[in-house]
Amino acid sequence: MEKTGLFGEFVKGLWKENPTFRIVLGLCPTLAVSTSVNNGIGMGVAATFVLVGANIFISLVRNVIPEKVRIPCFVVVIATFVTIVELAMKAYAPLLSRSLGIYVPLIVVNCIVLGRAEAFSSKHPPIRSILDSLGMGLGFTWALVVISFIRESLGNGTVLGFYINRSFEPALFMILAPGALLTIGILIGAINYFMSKRR
Amino acid sequence: MNQLLKFGLVLGVICLAATLVLAVTYEVTKPKIEEQLKAEEQSALKSIMPSADSFVEKTLDGIEYFEALKGRTVAGYCVRVTGNGYNGPIRMIAGVDLDGTIEGVSVLENSETPGLGAKINEIRPGESEPWFLKQFKGKSAGTIAIKSNIDAITGATISSKAVTDAIRKTVDDLLGKLKK
Repeated sequence: MEKTGLFGEFVKGLWKENPTFRIVLGLCPTLAVSTSVNNGIGMGVAATFVLVGANIFISLVRNVIPEKVRIPCFVVVIATFVTIVELAMKAYAPLLSRSLGIYVPLIVVNCIVLGRAEAFSSKHPPIRSILDSLGMGLGFTWALVVISFIRESLGNGTVLGFYINRSFEPALFMILAPGALLTIGILIGAINYFMSKRR
Repeated sequence: MNQLLKFGLVLGVICLAATLVLAVTYEVTKPKIEEQLKAEEQSALKSIMPSADSFVEKTLDGIEYFEALKGRTVAGYCVRVTGNGYNGPIRMIAGVDLDGTIEGVSVLENSETPGLGAKINEIRPGESEPWFLKQFKGKSAGTIAIKSNIDAITGATISSKAVTDAIRKTVDDLLGKLKK
């Protein structure tokens, strides 16, 4: 199990095991939040914080938690970290908290967080778990940024809230749910194509 | 049985720790969060009625509003309005003068669809206030309605209507009650 180096543990989440494009986990928040680059970054950073926090803790207590009740334990730990993030956002970044709205509490059920807790942190020491969840979080963040960049620019004619070109009439469709499915589908398809070519 | 007890104990300890951590976070952030909401509301009030120099919060028959004071005299009212939006409540503040002419509207909180309903709060480049809300200025609160003197946002009729109807009803209601 401990064959991969520490660096490899971090990097794998960025590309080889990217949660959005390669493992295809946590698509629900990805579809919902990727309407603007701002939201994408906010959601990515919040999810990364929860990932790292929850996974350090789970990794630390991994030998104490009996296997049969591990899932409820993980859920309690994750929910706690999410609530902390939500309250902190409301208090110190009200604008971000307003634009992310319902999506922050939804990190609780983000499969990436529970997935990493179950598949990685409950079996590995804290240092590796931190690197793993950091990599996964950043992988999730860049995936969100790419998707939301495509959707925001085509669907609203803006990037980070700034207008690109006033003469361009944005296709509203891209900002609605079908646009998200289409964008993610095409991106995953393209990535799979390149990966199979390289092999 | 022994095992069952151990499971319960471990879960219980984790839940207890989680509760403690949350209680502390809640207490620490609570005053900050309230402060943020207050500051937001104050800046909304100032932008709606820049000429007033103080606001006094009042409640009448369940309608929450602020009396905008210029020195000692009442110059107008800023009313808390909640509209039934497409994805949930839209919280707003609407300012009217004593005759019921709208001086300004500010949206505090909404969960409308980005790109559609969320345009109730969209500011076009080079402008200083949302173009949809600007339409309300100078119109009598009792007369505003979609299709007659307010243009709805393309693709967001429900959100536009929610804002317009809620302001007309609440403000009209308040002004009627104040006259009694």
